[in-house]
This record gives sequence, C-alpha cells and structure tokens, in this order.
Amino acid sequence: MAEMEVKGTSHKKGPGVKKSKKQSTRVDLTPMVDLGFLLITFFIFTTTMAQPTSMNLNMPKDTDKPDENTKVKESGSLTLMLGKGNVIYYYYGADPATMQTTGYKDVRKIILDKKKKTPAEDFFVIIKPDKDATYKNAVDLLDEMNINDVSRYAMVDPSPDEYSMIQQTEVAGGVK
Amino acid sequence: MARAKIKRGSTNVDMTAMCDVAFLLLTFFILAAKFKPSEAIEVVTPASVSNKHAPQKDYFNVTISKDNRVFIDMDDAMKGDVLDELGKERGIQFSDADKKGFQQATFVGVPLSQLTSFLNLTPEQLGKMTLPGIPYDSTNNQVLAWISAAVQASQGKKANFLIKGDNASKYTTFKAVIDAFKKNEIYKYNLVTNAADVPEGSELYKKNLSGQMSKE
Repeated sequence: MAEMEVKGTSHKKGPGVKKSKKQSTRVDLTPMVDLGFLLITFFIFTTTMAQPTSMNLNMPKDTDKPDENTKVKESGSLTLMLGKGNVIYYYYGADPATMQTTGYKDVRKIILDKKKKTPAEDFFVIIKPDKDATYKNAVDLLDEMNINDVSRYAMVDPSPDEYSMIQQTEVAGGVK
Repeated sequence: MARAKIKRGSTNVDMTAMCDVAFLLLTFFILAAKFKPSEAIEVVTPASVSNKHAPQKDYFNVTISKDNRVFIDMDDAMKGDVLDELGKERGIQFSDADKKGFQQATFVGVPLSQLTSFLNLTPEQLGKMTLPGIPYDSTNNQVLAWISAAVQASQGKKANFLIKGDNASKYTTFKAVIDAFKKNEIYKYNLVTNAADVPEGSELYKKNLSGQMSKE
C-alpha cells in the first residue's frame, strides 16, 4: 500500500536555500498484522487439535458361575478372531472350522451383512483377539462396533483350539 | 471560475491499532496455553470415532508403550494420597524427599525397588535412559499394586481410569492391564484415542444425522 505524504504547507524559502526532501517516517504495518493473525490462527488450531479423545469401555465382571454368563444364540453370533499381521478370521455360529479370512477394511461389510440377516435381539458379536493381535486391532474393532451401532458384543480370549487353528492358517498362509 | 475543491480523504488506514490487537491476542494465547510436558515415552494412539474428550482431571492413566512396557501417571492432586496408600500396602516408608520428587514426577516407569533413584533423576537424565517400565507379570504385578493404591486413594471421589496404548503394543499387555483393573473391581475405563471422522453412510453416521445421541 502506498503511503501518502502529507502535502500542503511547503514554505517558500530563500533562493539560496536548498529544499531538503522529507522522508516519511510511517511504516506499512499490514504485513505485520497479517503475520500476527496467521500466528494466532496457527496457535488456536494446534491447541485444539492436540486434545485426545477417549472411548469408553465397560468390561463385565468375571464370573465362574455358568448361569451368570451371557447366553448367545448360535444363529445370531458372529465371531471375529484377530490374528497376526492385521488379519481377521471370522465364522458364524459355533463352528470355528468354517472360519474365513478377511481384513480390517472389509470387516464392516461382514458385520453389516450379518446384522441385516439376524433379528436385532439375537445379534451378538464376539471379538477374540489372540496373542499376536495388537492393541490397535482391538481398539479398531471396538470402534467398528460403535460405527455399525452394534449394541451387543463381547471381548474374550480365543479357545486353545481356535488359537491353534489360527496359527495353522498363519503358517500355511505365510503370515509373519 | 471558481471550482469547488473536493477534499480527498486518505485511503490509508492506520494499521497500528490492528497490529496491537493481533499481537495482544497472540501473546494471550501463547501464555494461556498449557504446555504439554515433554513425554519420555512416545505413544501413538489408535483412532476412534468417539468425540468425547479425554478427562483431564482426577485421572489415573496407564500407558502402554510400543514395546509393551507399562507406565503410570496421575493427576497431581491424587499423587500424595496414592503414594501414602502404596506405602501402607507394601510396607514401604517413603521419605519426604521421595514424596516431593513424586509430586514433581510426570510419570512412573520403574519397579518399586528403583523408585527412589528414579525420582532423583533430572529430566535430562530421564530422556537418555531406557526405563524398564512397571512389571505386570503374575509373580510380581506392581501395576496391580499401583491401581489398588489409586482405588484406595480415590475412594468416595470421582476417578477416571485411562488406558493409553500404542498402536503397536500387543493385546496381551492390554489384557494384563485390564485384568489388573478388574482385580480391583474397576470395570469402566477410558481408552485414549485420536479423534477420527465417522465414516459417511455408516449406521452411526445415519444415527448422528437423525439427531439421536449414541448410547455411551
């Protein structure tokens, strides 16, 4: 932006006196303001973004009494086993032998398909992270439950049989 | 002929005042911002669609690093009571220097036997060391002891139990921590995550659109 010099009273001086040009002392502050607001914006954004969120997790009380355990209808259950290398093994009902393989991107479709096919009160998802699953895997699936609005799910350990089956599949498939 | 002289106003606006305001605001925000204490343990948390902010008060946090070490930290207001309870439980006499050091420590990452020497470390020394973490194996489960002390200390008060795990940490470590909480009859936890957007078209997305609050 151009500065306007305040013109007006130019005193007439004598013929021998040289006119000394006066430089403006004003500085253009616009870029400085720009910088100031840029920094403010930056600080506001970085402070709010850094705040972590939290996900609530309620675990049931451990119980040894069989009648206190949650009953799950075989027809409505979907078991997702989390294995090594971000692979999910899933099966419907109670037969682990019918296990199929999927990944974290496609699991949503499987959950939704099953959800559509079963009555809401029977639908139950069992999440079984094995020893090689990471924390991220478990949280991702819990998050998936939220995303797909699954109200009934449980997180339990896989049985030794299931674990050995997963391991066999992993060895066969060369999953590291 | 006399012509009416139109006085031209300057188009220049004085920026000084605006500049002052901008920098005043800037100074305010910088000073008002609470600096995050430098973390000795780097944890990359997984993302979730949860939009609830992690509690900043009355918290007891268990951190799991990517190599499955466990660390704890807590609200400053709780620290005194927790250390007292821990001393009572384990029969350890903590000196005043220990208590002061504990009050200043941002986290605990060593077994109880090394606690005193850990508290004497300067932040610079801490940054260089690789801390062993708190043992959580079944023979010497000190995570359990810390949690139990925290539960005792927060009786009758509100306490939030946070778990902050790294993406790459093993599920077994997480399970060990959950089990330690369960043994202390704590069944509600907050898992610290990064905020992520709800995927478009998913059930939760539709639910949020229809204005219903998701059950939490």
